Amino acid sequence: MNGLLTAALALGIGAAAIALMGQSPVEAYVELLKGAFVGKFNLGGTLEKFVPLLLTALAFAVASKASVFNVGVEGELYLGAMAAAWVALSVKSVPAPIHLILCFGAAVLAGGLWAAIPGALKAHYGVNEVCVTILANYVAIFFTSYLVNYPLSSGLGAPQTTPVPDHLMLSRIMPPSMANSGLFIALAILVGTYWVVHKSTLGYRLRAVGENRHYAEHVGIDAKATMIWAMVASGAFGGIAGAIQVLGVFGCFVDNFSPGLAFDGMLASLIARNDIRLIPILSFFLAALKAGALGMERFTGVPKALVDTVIALFILLASMEGLFKFKMGSRPARRG
Amino acid sequence: MSQSPMEPIVLMKDIVKDFPGVRAVDGGFFDLMPGEAHALIGENGAGKSTLMKILYGVYQPDSGVITVKGETFPHQSPGEAISRGIGMVHQEFMLVQQLTVLENVILGFEPRVGMGKIDFKAAEERISAIMDGYGLKVDLRKKVNDISVGEAQRVEIVKALYRGADVLILDEPTAVLTPQEAEGLFQVIRSLTSLGKSVIFISHKLNEVMEVASRVTVMRQGRHIGTVEKSATSIPELARLMVGRDVFLGVQRSGSAKAGDVALEVRDIYVPSSTEHSKIRGVSFQVRRSEILGIAGVDGNGQSELAEAIAGLRPVERGQVIIDGVQVQNLTPLQVRQAGLAHIPEDRNTRGLNRTMTVKENLAGLAFRKPPISKGLAIVGGALKEFAERLISAFDVRPPLADAPVTGFSGGNAQKIVVAREVDSNPKVLLACQPTRGVDIGSIENIRKELVKVRDRGTAIVLISADLEEILSLSDRIAVMYEGRITGIIDADEADEERLGLLMTGGAVNG
Amino acid sequence: MIESLGDLMDNLSLVVDYTLIRSTIRSSMPIIYAAMACVITQQADILNIGVEGIMLCGAFAAVAVSYFSGSWLLALGASVLVGILLAAFMAVAHIKYKSDIFVAGMGINMFALAITKLLLNKMLNESGSFMSPDIVPMPRIDVPVLASNDVLNSLFNNYSIMEPLGFVLVLVLQYLLYRTIWGLRLRCVGMNPKAAETAGIRVDLRKFEVMIYSGIIGGVAGAYLSLGYSRVFAENMTNGRGFMGVAAMLFGGGDPIKSMLGCFIFGLADSIGARLQTFGFPSQFILMIPYIATASILSLAMYRKLKRERVAMSAVAEPQKE
Repeated sequence: MNGLLTAALALGIGAAAIALMGQSPVEAYVELLKGAFVGKFNLGGTLEKFVPLLLTALAFAVASKASVFNVGVEGELYLGAMAAAWVALSVKSVPAPIHLILCFGAAVLAGGLWAAIPGALKAHYGVNEVCVTILANYVAIFFTSYLVNYPLSSGLGAPQTTPVPDHLMLSRIMPPSMANSGLFIALAILVGTYWVVHKSTLGYRLRAVGENRHYAEHVGIDAKATMIWAMVASGAFGGIAGAIQVLGVFGCFVDNFSPGLAFDGMLASLIARNDIRLIPILSFFLAALKAGALGMERFTGVPKALVDTVIALFILLASMEGLFKFKMGSRPARRG
Repeated sequence: MSQSPMEPIVLMKDIVKDFPGVRAVDGGFFDLMPGEAHALIGENGAGKSTLMKILYGVYQPDSGVITVKGETFPHQSPGEAISRGIGMVHQEFMLVQQLTVLENVILGFEPRVGMGKIDFKAAEERISAIMDGYGLKVDLRKKVNDISVGEAQRVEIVKALYRGADVLILDEPTAVLTPQEAEGLFQVIRSLTSLGKSVIFISHKLNEVMEVASRVTVMRQGRHIGTVEKSATSIPELARLMVGRDVFLGVQRSGSAKAGDVALEVRDIYVPSSTEHSKIRGVSFQVRRSEILGIAGVDGNGQSELAEAIAGLRPVERGQVIIDGVQVQNLTPLQVRQAGLAHIPEDRNTRGLNRTMTVKENLAGLAFRKPPISKGLAIVGGALKEFAERLISAFDVRPPLADAPVTGFSGGNAQKIVVAREVDSNPKVLLACQPTRGVDIGSIENIRKELVKVRDRGTAIVLISADLEEILSLSDRIAVMYEGRITGIIDADEADEERLGLLMTGGAVNG
Repeated sequence: MIESLGDLMDNLSLVVDYTLIRSTIRSSMPIIYAAMACVITQQADILNIGVEGIMLCGAFAAVAVSYFSGSWLLALGASVLVGILLAAFMAVAHIKYKSDIFVAGMGINMFALAITKLLLNKMLNESGSFMSPDIVPMPRIDVPVLASNDVLNSLFNNYSIMEPLGFVLVLVLQYLLYRTIWGLRLRCVGMNPKAAETAGIRVDLRKFEVMIYSGIIGGVAGAYLSLGYSRVFAENMTNGRGFMGVAAMLFGGGDPIKSMLGCFIFGLADSIGARLQTFGFPSQFILMIPYIATASILSLAMYRKLKRERVAMSAVAEPQKE
């Protein structure tokens, strides 16, 4: 339906741009598909990218359900990653499963608390959370950058921490790619989030606050607390995504490890209109595009940035309701 | 009557207007003679407002033609309507709160000096001339935020006249006025018509219509039912045309149950508000079990603030609110509800309902936290549906679809959903704010009967309403609010429109 | 390296002196342009967070055109054009097709990041940044008589032409918004669109109009960033400055002069930070300062606004004369 038409339009514009560059659009898109799905390395690459995209998309969606727009998930991603790395490296002589839980716990705490700040500012003082969270991203990224370059540096010249112990690493599920068992954590969180939002009393409160705050207050729901907790959950998801990047992909915290993962996740959620059922589909789709773009660049000469451009175009077009609407006939009066 | 030529100044024919899912106007017809006061009547939802908004250009009809001063066209914009001499005073005022009266009046038609600068002096002179000519007085320098509702309406009329209106459309103008202010408005209408202006007057209050109008057009379910001369008709006749059946319009006292202990006490409370006239400064009253206390008063005198303060949705700066002996002022809304309060809010769309949710979710707004609807954190789907269906049938909500989103429901049925939810919580105290506003006659009867039943079961009810008829027919005692204070509390037996009207304009009475 | 607070105090005069004024103005100026681009749409109740993307694209267009044509004037024109196109797209998406303004804005930002990266690669054959002696920067105003005095020279001389123009822009907007008919009608569109509509004002048209103006100012902001400030284009060179403009606008409540003050706070933080960096503080902490400062000031402003409203609404304060 509408979504497919929009995607087709965006891809069509991309094809035109590729042609302008003197390359063959067909060849480029074929390499794109191959790069995303063909072969264990490629498919694994898609799965590896899918995990943080899914989690950051959920992070954004959860806060959006309460009508708070957390554009700061990227910052929570970094803080969660750093917290997990730090716990992994500094806590000693604890059995591996508990150690792992502690790492994730630290990531949840770091991301959740960081997100609670703009959440509280919005709930109590009406401060525009879009602005504050965007600014907060920079602060978080600079802070972790400082940590990894100074006190927590591995001292080996590269801006990263010492590698975490092997027994803490999340197992690889599709070698030689970096796809890891963090995938299962992410999927579990997906299912859990859907259940909470749509089938639990917490979810009722969340949706009520996001859809009509006045109604929520009227029936006795604490709108301010709900908004703050939604942000905490959002930050926690972002933190977990970061932890998975450290413990599943890189094995250590690397300065600037994220090429805007959380922003892509946010875009996936926006296109899906924050519908939790559509988010995994769109996250997977975006992950495939990103993974495929690498292959496309290697084998054709079309830069990755083209795919990013097409994705951005897709967002813009997808947000325009009625772009492809056909006028429907009017229906007779409904008597109530 | 009028020595006008035979040509109508405004003629609307075969107007059809659809909104998603509903045909608001189906073959609308209206004609207006120069210099006449013509009333357009019908129930809530009959299409009167929509038809006039089409005339004013806010909506464009899907078919039909409009003729103004001999010029015919299929539709127009507000700018074109204004240039053709049509002005409209809407039900919700089209005023910018933060600007002054003067700025609001000249908006869009500002007199210039030099390159785009505003000539305030010229504006003042022109406006004063209009105000003197028609007997409408307002302070031009005040911000709209600081003036009363009656004054705001006068500003709207001055605005229309300043823009050169020869035809004035007034949409339910007396809804926000005290009986005395309404008289003043009728004077203004008479002076307008005597000076050659034509007035269209939308209303559902038949006694006012009979007083002011020379002709009456009736609409029902979007259709033109008929146009009659006032001299050839009567109130019962108009009522029958409006509703399509015989309607009893007299004020029926609902009898009283034996009043019990004091359930709600409000003691000398002070409540903040963004408009000066609505700040509550020292309001006290008591309500007993099995008693209905009606709070009469024109909108904007603090009624909303009072209800919100009692419900915990607005802070109480001084004083106490006591339910069954327990102080509840400044507790959270949830705690106040747990103390035994239920609240039918005055705006069902912003507060009463979550339009995105389904009927069953809206009905469960107060019950979702407890068994049987919830088990731990989970919402039990079966129990929720059962609960909803029980209420839907008990309150006759139509269509009886628990899973439908609330957006599609008519005003009356949406209100029934709100009432059902609040009443089912078996409250000790019920705040009913404008419970039948914007509701069709069938649902009005239904809701009023329900309120009486609730009272008889032992609940103390505070009925806040701008509809004097409703207050008089349901209340056991009546309090009147004016500018944030209670000007008097009297027994229903001793109350009548005139006495209440006096209290509504600030005249204090010992009672 | 500063060893102690005492050290810092001794060196304070090295950090804070009259040259700080000049560097503050320089740092604030791109933000001021961005803020004005936001102010003008805010008055029509449109929160234009796409200004970051518009600035970035403007910056790129300016450098590219300046490089290829050798004319800074043409370059400026190109950024204005680019700004108009992007703003127009946002406007159509939001006004006609009911896009959420936030999505449209973030979409433009993402688009700008991607397409400038793409074009940097394909058009200029570079990645990361592009620098060349063939890029013609914006001229500076050099008044010889001022050059002779150190203080005067620092405060008033050697400005890029866009810098004084920025101040003019703020004053012009202030006048237009609050003293003219155009401004009154625009503010009504923002405060009560229904009232404006019934006054015969074409609300959608006005909204579209101010988005275009915003695009123009945003494009100019970008050109100033790449040609007036420096002579380089770097990926993501706006680095959040557009968002700072948004924050400054919110801080100023949509009022041009007050928003400009907000921009100065950022500029001051940025300048002091740069100086502290020369004393050996880790660069990351320095870089953080402007962002923390802006967020704090914004929060403080909202808090104070809330407090003021609470007092105005109060029923126990002295009643005003009625």
